[in-house]
Amino acid sequence: MKEIHYVMIKSMLVVSIGLTGCVNVAPWERGNLAKPQMALDPHPLQSEIQSHNYSSREAAPSHKSSTGGGGCGCY
Amino acid sequence: MPKHHGSYHSISDLKESPIKPKKTLQAFTSAALVLPGLLLTSAHAADKDRINFQYSRYQEGERNLFGVPNNLKPISADVLHGSGSLSLTDRTKFFYSYTQDTWSGATPITIAPLAANSNNPVLRDNPFGGTTIVGASPLINRTVQLDHDLNPLRQDPRTGQITGQDSRSVMVLSSASPETRNQGNFGLSREWNEAAVNMGGGFSTERDYKSSFGNIGGRLDFNQKLTSLKFGSGYTHSEIGAILDHDASPYITKTAYARQIERKGGSEILRGDRQDWTANIGLTQILTKSALVDVSVGYTHSNGFMENPYKVMSVIFIDPVALNNNLATPISGDMRALIEQRPNIRNQLAFNTKYIQYIAPFDAALHLNYKFTLDDWGVNTNTFDANWVQPFGNEWTFTPRIRYYSQDAASFYQPYLFSRQTVQMNKFDAGKLPDNFSSDHRLAGFGALSGGATLNRRLSKGINLEAGFEYYTRASAMQIGGGGGNSFADFDYYVASAALRLDMEGVGTSRPGAGNSSHNQHSVVHHQHKIPPAGIMFGHMLDKPGDFMMGYRLMLGRADGHMMHGSHKASDPVIVEQGCSDTLPCRFTPTYMNMRMHMLDIMYAPTKWWNVMLMPTFMDMDMNLRRLDKAPPPVPGVHEHQGIAGHETGAVGDTYFSSLIKLISIPGHRVHMNLGFSAPTGKVDIELRRMAKVDGGLIHFGMQLGSGTWDFMPSLTYTGEKNRWSWGAQVSGVKRLEEKNKSGYRLGDLAQATTWGGYDLTRWLTASVRGAYTWQGAVQRDFDSFNARIGPMDFPANYGGQFWDIGLGMSAVIPGGRFAGNRFGFEWIQPVRNDFNGYQLDRKGMLSATWSYRF
Repeated sequence: MKEIHYVMIKSMLVVSIGLTGCVNVAPWERGNLAKPQMALDPHPLQSEIQSHNYSSREAAPSHKSSTGGGGCGCY
Repeated sequence: MPKHHGSYHSISDLKESPIKPKKTLQAFTSAALVLPGLLLTSAHAADKDRINFQYSRYQEGERNLFGVPNNLKPISADVLHGSGSLSLTDRTKFFYSYTQDTWSGATPITIAPLAANSNNPVLRDNPFGGTTIVGASPLINRTVQLDHDLNPLRQDPRTGQITGQDSRSVMVLSSASPETRNQGNFGLSREWNEAAVNMGGGFSTERDYKSSFGNIGGRLDFNQKLTSLKFGSGYTHSEIGAILDHDASPYITKTAYARQIERKGGSEILRGDRQDWTANIGLTQILTKSALVDVSVGYTHSNGFMENPYKVMSVIFIDPVALNNNLATPISGDMRALIEQRPNIRNQLAFNTKYIQYIAPFDAALHLNYKFTLDDWGVNTNTFDANWVQPFGNEWTFTPRIRYYSQDAASFYQPYLFSRQTVQMNKFDAGKLPDNFSSDHRLAGFGALSGGATLNRRLSKGINLEAGFEYYTRASAMQIGGGGGNSFADFDYYVASAALRLDMEGVGTSRPGAGNSSHNQHSVVHHQHKIPPAGIMFGHMLDKPGDFMMGYRLMLGRADGHMMHGSHKASDPVIVEQGCSDTLPCRFTPTYMNMRMHMLDIMYAPTKWWNVMLMPTFMDMDMNLRRLDKAPPPVPGVHEHQGIAGHETGAVGDTYFSSLIKLISIPGHRVHMNLGFSAPTGKVDIELRRMAKVDGGLIHFGMQLGSGTWDFMPSLTYTGEKNRWSWGAQVSGVKRLEEKNKSGYRLGDLAQATTWGGYDLTRWLTASVRGAYTWQGAVQRDFDSFNARIGPMDFPANYGGQFWDIGLGMSAVIPGGRFAGNRFGFEWIQPVRNDFNGYQLDRKGMLSATWSYRF
């Protein structure tokens, strides 16, 4: 199980790094990419709530761990 | 946090700007040039300046207690969030955010065999026969009958006869009084053409857990901005000072933490500290004209106190002699509760991948995420989620979402433990227990499925409304590759949220004549005099039809010092005798009370003589008590305030809405009338938790969050101005429109008269002095359900009075530049003379702070 994960992650990394060489999207072709729905996080306020709730109910590290805070969640 | 403010706003707002269609291509091209910023969650200087307000409510469903009757309320949390990003220069931005959450409800403290009957309903006989459940109390030290294979055996509660094997487990719940957490974050970012750096920090404080944190990060763009590399690291230091449950503490075995427990004022405080270091690196890559991918790896190292200090492990001690006696008779297990013990080190790795595809036929975007994490506690997790972001025209966006999560159990997780030894005089051999153990169900193996949607509506002038909903269900059976076996811990929750987002610059550009700073300055200064001191509500009106004003108001009030009776100090023996009732002497009195109220002012002018206002409020309060000198001694079965911890409440308060009508408007003089109402959205049935086998009952009148009644709030305001001088007067009142609220009482009516004078120190800064007289009636009627009646604050006659105050204020309006038009006001209200009804804590003053911006 674990190995499958590593393979997946590594292959994603390799593919994405590999792609950097061959992709060519000119600036004037990036109209769709510039749309708000294509933002990495289109609803940051919602993401914040969700991740706070998940991190108080689940054991996975949350994105919060990189910015700190979040409190005890001792309930 | 800066990280989470999206970076797309500059583009999205182009659609709103008055660019002619033929310039659209140019607009998109220029948008594309700033694209890499858009691809990143890191702070980005090209963003619009923005302010967000958000409220959300988390509500859990009831836990499965296998039919044991109980009246415990499930956990709920109210969260208030405000944040913003402001450009300091073209390339430098400042970020801030503030979050306050208050939670209450019943929380699991341990897991026990169901046969141990640890969830114990508290019944009270009704006067007319039958019984009512008035509470529930966890019984964590029990004797459990077991067979020789250590299967728990169920006993008939009346006869004591064994009725069979019952291997089910159950969560043992304990109720909690409300608690509040505050978090503040601040950050700065700097942007270059192909790079950015950001740094930030903040704090989170709650009664038992304090954290401070800092982080630094950056971004580099390559390959004509098709590729961006981002990186960051952070550090968090946390201090734990958990006041152990006064009630449960005698039944909890704490020997492992003896050196970390401090005794203070009758309370036991378990102290610890913890540190977390994080580092992450990620890559965003544009794949095609319509797709991009984002991958990242994060590492977290934590050490120190990582336990939840309120969770205990049920350990069933078994006499090895009885176990090996080869008799058919059941074995008596001695179940004890030990504070959980987690490892002091944890290393976590997280891999994230995200793929975003533009779906041209629908003008929508599909977001697919997968996250895998692993750690040295054995908790491996998998998360899949998918979002479909669907805009409808320029105004609406609808985003449905689905998520699946699965985790493996921590290696030291057990619902409960057995130990083959006997406990003699509360002593046992800790060496025979595992080094680490926890029954926190969050460390169990389980799966969770959740789904929800977000709806955005863009109004004109850069104002956005957002509503979100999510339903989450956890099930042991949904764990990947595992049967779970923890179905007793299954539960669900929902979260609903509403947010208001304001794009500051978007506002400026949509305003006719904006951009012309002299116009701005003129209008700003022209209206300046009409804003009364910060402590005045409903004190001004908007002039232009279609104008919109957004404001935030903070009020901080404090009472402490002496107890007062009328205008004199009251001594403890007098309060004991007279402060409560003839039959019931007072035993406790407040030592301090803090009140904080956050209020949004949303104001709109349909016509120049008529304005409407909506003001949602969010309250939180904290208070502590002391035992009065000469108070009668504690009586078993009667509520006592114990330990050093005070009480906290907080959540949504009442919501005000009103109509303002201009009566006179001649140069230099204006009069307007306000017809306002208050809707009873604040709770008036908050209860103290059950302590020492005694119910806490409803918390004091003054700690409830609203009036509980519909109230009429009229006022009449006069304002005048000449040259650098301004002045005004206001009479206002609050009339309760109902006989009683749902808890049986009614707050007193209120009337206030105030007058002020102001002087412009500079073009943009005004100082003010104000006098105010307030009359408030006592609380009418009384609680119609149980209240502990331990001190003056529990008696209706000890509320209200007559108060004379002086207010000293400053208000500023930013005349030009980037933040032109923002107004700030501060006013300190100093009590001069008080004439209290009954016995009350002395008033120490109030601070009002306001911010507003006219669109």
